[in-house]
Amino acid sequence: MSSSSPLERTIDKVLSQKESELISKIDSAYQESLRNLDSSKSKLNSEYLAIIENARKQAENLKRQIVGSSRLSARNNQLILIEDSVRTVFEMVRKRLSSLHKEPDYEKLMKQALLNAFKEMGKNDLSIECNKTDYSLVRKVADSINKEMGTKMVVANKSIDILGGIRVTSSDGTLSYDDSIDSRIERLKPLIRKNIVQVLRGERGRESWSQKVE
Amino acid sequence: MSESAAIEYTKVAEIKGPLMIIDGITKASFDELVEIETSDSDRRLGRVLEVGHGKAVVQVFEGTTGLAISGTKAKFLGKTMAMPVSPELLGRVFDGLGRPNDGLPDPIAEKFLDVNGEPMNPERREYPTSFIQTGVSVIDGMLTLVRGQKLPIFSGSGMPHNVLAAQIARQATVVGTKEDFAVVFAAIGVQYSEAQYFKRSLEESGALRRSVLFLNLADDPAIERIITPRVALTVAEYLAFDLGMHVLAILTDMTNYAEALREISAAREEVPGRKGYPGYLYTDLANNYERAGRIRGKNGSVTQVPILSMPADDITHPIPDLTGYITEGQIVLGRDLFRKGVYPPVNVLMSLSRLMKDGVGEGKTRSDHMEVGNQLYDAYSRAQEVRALAEIVGRSGLTGVDLKYLDAGDMFESHFLKQGKDENRGLEETLSRTWDVLSTLPEGELTKIKEKHVRQYYKETK
Amino acid sequence: MVAKGRIVWVSGPAVRADGMSSAKMYETVEVGESKLIGEVIRLTGDVAFIQVYETTSGLKPGEPVVGTGQPLSVTLGPGIIGQIYDGIQRPLSEMAKKSGDFIGRGIETTPIDLKKKYKFVPTVKKGDNITGGSILGTVDETPLLTHSILVPPNHRGGMISNMIGEGEYDLEQVLAETQKDGGYHTELKMYHKWPVRHARPYTERYDPTVPLVTGQRIIDTYFPIAKGGTGAIPGGFGTGKTVTLHQIAKWADSKVVVYIGCGERGNEMTEVLVEFPHLLDPHSGRPLMERTVLVANTSNMPVAAREASIYTGVTIAEYYRDMGLDTVLVADSTSRWAEALREMSGRLEEMPAEEGYPSYLASRLAEFYERAGRVRSLGLPERSGSVTLIGAVSPSGADFTEPVTTHTIRFIKTFWALDTRLAYSRHYPSINWMQSYSGYLEDVAKWWKENVSSEWFELRAESYQILQREDTLKEIVRLLGPEALPDEEKLILEVARMIKIGILQQNSFDKVDTYCSPQKQVKLVKLMVRFYKEALKALREGTPLADIRAMPVISSLLKAKFEIPDEEVQRLDGLENGMIEQFKKLQNKEEVKVVV
Repeated sequence: MSSSSPLERTIDKVLSQKESELISKIDSAYQESLRNLDSSKSKLNSEYLAIIENARKQAENLKRQIVGSSRLSARNNQLILIEDSVRTVFEMVRKRLSSLHKEPDYEKLMKQALLNAFKEMGKNDLSIECNKTDYSLVRKVADSINKEMGTKMVVANKSIDILGGIRVTSSDGTLSYDDSIDSRIERLKPLIRKNIVQVLRGERGRESWSQKVE
Repeated sequence: MSESAAIEYTKVAEIKGPLMIIDGITKASFDELVEIETSDSDRRLGRVLEVGHGKAVVQVFEGTTGLAISGTKAKFLGKTMAMPVSPELLGRVFDGLGRPNDGLPDPIAEKFLDVNGEPMNPERREYPTSFIQTGVSVIDGMLTLVRGQKLPIFSGSGMPHNVLAAQIARQATVVGTKEDFAVVFAAIGVQYSEAQYFKRSLEESGALRRSVLFLNLADDPAIERIITPRVALTVAEYLAFDLGMHVLAILTDMTNYAEALREISAAREEVPGRKGYPGYLYTDLANNYERAGRIRGKNGSVTQVPILSMPADDITHPIPDLTGYITEGQIVLGRDLFRKGVYPPVNVLMSLSRLMKDGVGEGKTRSDHMEVGNQLYDAYSRAQEVRALAEIVGRSGLTGVDLKYLDAGDMFESHFLKQGKDENRGLEETLSRTWDVLSTLPEGELTKIKEKHVRQYYKETK
Repeated sequence: MVAKGRIVWVSGPAVRADGMSSAKMYETVEVGESKLIGEVIRLTGDVAFIQVYETTSGLKPGEPVVGTGQPLSVTLGPGIIGQIYDGIQRPLSEMAKKSGDFIGRGIETTPIDLKKKYKFVPTVKKGDNITGGSILGTVDETPLLTHSILVPPNHRGGMISNMIGEGEYDLEQVLAETQKDGGYHTELKMYHKWPVRHARPYTERYDPTVPLVTGQRIIDTYFPIAKGGTGAIPGGFGTGKTVTLHQIAKWADSKVVVYIGCGERGNEMTEVLVEFPHLLDPHSGRPLMERTVLVANTSNMPVAAREASIYTGVTIAEYYRDMGLDTVLVADSTSRWAEALREMSGRLEEMPAEEGYPSYLASRLAEFYERAGRVRSLGLPERSGSVTLIGAVSPSGADFTEPVTTHTIRFIKTFWALDTRLAYSRHYPSINWMQSYSGYLEDVAKWWKENVSSEWFELRAESYQILQREDTLKEIVRLLGPEALPDEEKLILEVARMIKIGILQQNSFDKVDTYCSPQKQVKLVKLMVRFYKEALKALREGTPLADIRAMPVISSLLKAKFEIPDEEVQRLDGLENGMIEQFKKLQNKEEVKVVV
């Protein structure tokens, strides 16, 4: 190609230049794709790890959640069971107490209740209610107090449905005083429940109990 | 049978707002608990606010709607309001007055505790010094929470205070121990969805069984809210000081509480202080907030995170203002950051943890902790000034150092403050991020840090 | 005859009782079955209005109220120092023994241990004439404090008819007996009682001239308070009131410090209790607790006792003043005291003034601050002591126009205004140097001149001027940016920044920086002023500002406050020399440039 014209030489030059440019471009593109591949590999890897880590965390959370709530619901079921037994015990107590009037001390107890009512309410004119069984006893006690203290306690003819004890109202209707066995049970319920549960749990104490909750 | 029967009074003289005034009283004491029975046998609870001259002023927790002058009976129970406590309270849900709300029976009480509590003797207090890691960088790095501290979140409507509180509750750990926090959560007049979010968050992290929840929701009686934090804190104190647990008590939203207080004060026609709130708002809030801390020789602790929404984002409003005077610092959420989408949107410049100095440093966290915290405050505060200046004069009017502060400010928000709602960062990572931010500044600017720490941690830009 | 009545009405801390016609105003009474402590604050017919210092839950009409015949008083004698009391001088440690970790009610305690023995050294003898306020002898109350045994100030005087010799005695021991005109016979012990609402008398008042050195630069150098002076420190929450007060309580060069936590945080009192026994007084090297007494009525303790705590504290301070000692009383916070006044006033249904505060708020504040002063004590030997009163104010919403702040300003001479904005940028102590002032500046200048440095007054003025100029320039910067200023004014900004960081800011939690001796204070100020002068000279001679800004010495100047401890204060001279060297180099560089 010795006879090549300046034109041809120029073309050649341009061509070879382009060629090397092209080669280098291809090369760099190749290199880049390699790099890309590499980085996407590591990216993939880290994403893979992240996904695994995430899943592990989720599984961990789920486990904690499941363990937590199942323990909790087991405990809650236990609470319900205990409450059922407590209720049964209370029924039995009520039954037992409904025959309280047969106790020898009952009259004394009734007198004390009436005197308390008088003391607490600070009024003379009182209307007293009680159940059918206690009616005559309450009248007797009230009469004796009236005589003793000069009070005006009147026992209502109409009886009310209580286990025992009395309900007192001032004659002007502004005050009332409930000392029925029923209300006593109600008032002492929290304490009684505690005692019942202690018995039910066989006095295991709370350490063993709280361990179960954990 | 020790307890005597109680007298019922039927002579109601007046009913106004949440108050009921009863006449013909022969025997009643201040602060006594009252059981009220309406004419249709509905039972409510109340408390004596004032007694004398045959009259008693009773505050009715469930409100006076439906009460009548005739046919209403009030029974004075001869005791102040008490909460039954036992270890079984854990995992339970109660209403705002401490009654079961989860369909389960009444707790079997080990004992009954007066919900008002008693002031802790300052001489018996143990000074709080144990670092709590929350995994939230801005708190651990700059607003460190310490066991026994009371650190409120001041928020505004719509901002993610509950998300942040739930994150703290899930992630809080005392470094160096395996003990978990027990969580006592009191919802005070918040929406159902907010309370539910919190409950679910505890459930998902398995923390529900070491939590006790008290829920007074937005549609529950307002006056009940006066009792809600009290029952919650009574239980918190029991768990901490009787059972030796570390308790995190979250009370949300104290603004609703203060409003209930204002309602009663108005009904009593008391001379109001600022914005119609009673003059004793400070004392009353303190009676709740001061029920946090540790006791010498006892294992447990009560750490309190009360949440309150600032009406109109105004920090000088009496509720945040008085709270800030009582609590040991405050975490303030900022509307600007919230709008920018930064979580947690903590406005650090307005925030503060007073006990941080005692919970960090050599032997507790790291010797440079306090200094970098201070330097970050300083840098971010400078950055904010420069930002404001740049708004006016443009970047070109700034000196070279000012520009560095501008960058540090941006990096502070994006790299340090911002984090995921489930992201739990270790302390080392948090501190490393503080140095990332500070290293954008020239060494000479770090005037609050000792030379040796600068040499050890400053990251030269390559 | 003591009053015996019955409760007729209860509402919170307020109780009304009838059958009280023989009760006196401000008499202490026992209220109810559980004998709660109360004080009569109004009498109408036979009805007494009583403020109760303990929680009244469960109190009911019909319960008894019994008078004690005594006004609310404190017991004064050795054994007070190192104690922590509640608002009515009940030792909290005793209360803990009786009621556990939480404060119970109706607990009886003795304010000081009457059984404890001290070595008494008499300073008077039989046949001497004494008057009220005279010193009978001394005991060592703590290794730091010699306690003078005082004749009660209201004693009518007389001749000592019997005097005990030197020896170990407990507080109940009769030390001296006096006789006057055959009739007035008294027995004097180591302690006496004094009603808290009455200022203890003195012979004469002096002008305060000696500064109370606190080791806090912005206080001592810029806004000093004199011994026997008054100061107030108002600030919103988070501005560091309590930290500043703690600093004063720790480092003030005073013989006795009374710290009143009035309606503040429980943990803050605990902090003092935990920290003070371990901190050493820089002047004597002894634990700070040996000169400190705490009165703690935290925010959750009964509100009425909060009102009393201020009076309890100031009476104790006056007692030590009467021995010829300098005492400082720090009250955190007087706003809570004012609120307690407001609450009781509300329950009394008095006509309220601004924001519900009673109309007598101002006069009560005036009465309190009037109990400060440097005085010549009653009796012999001749001696003078002082009570410095420093009160924190917690203005609602950090608004200094609210009643407690505005009234307080009328009665104090030093005003340290805390600034929320400074606090937000963590400039601590956040005392605003443009808003604060001291009325004692001229009074204490002589002391500084004689004891520390002849240049103090000028250096202070020069450095303060830089701060003032910066304050006006800031306005321009806010509008136009710093580049709009000429270099000389930019230099002002730069040096003002250095003064703020290197002098005004002080880290209470840094071992070195927490206390700064007067010598070091003067040297630091001098360094900054010198820097400004040298820099200005260099600037005028053509050195670019950027070169000055880049001087490595600046960083050392700013860190000198915590890198150089008081004991090595002469290192600051080295720093000054180094600074001059650097300036010289700068100028040489310029000259080299010019030659090239």
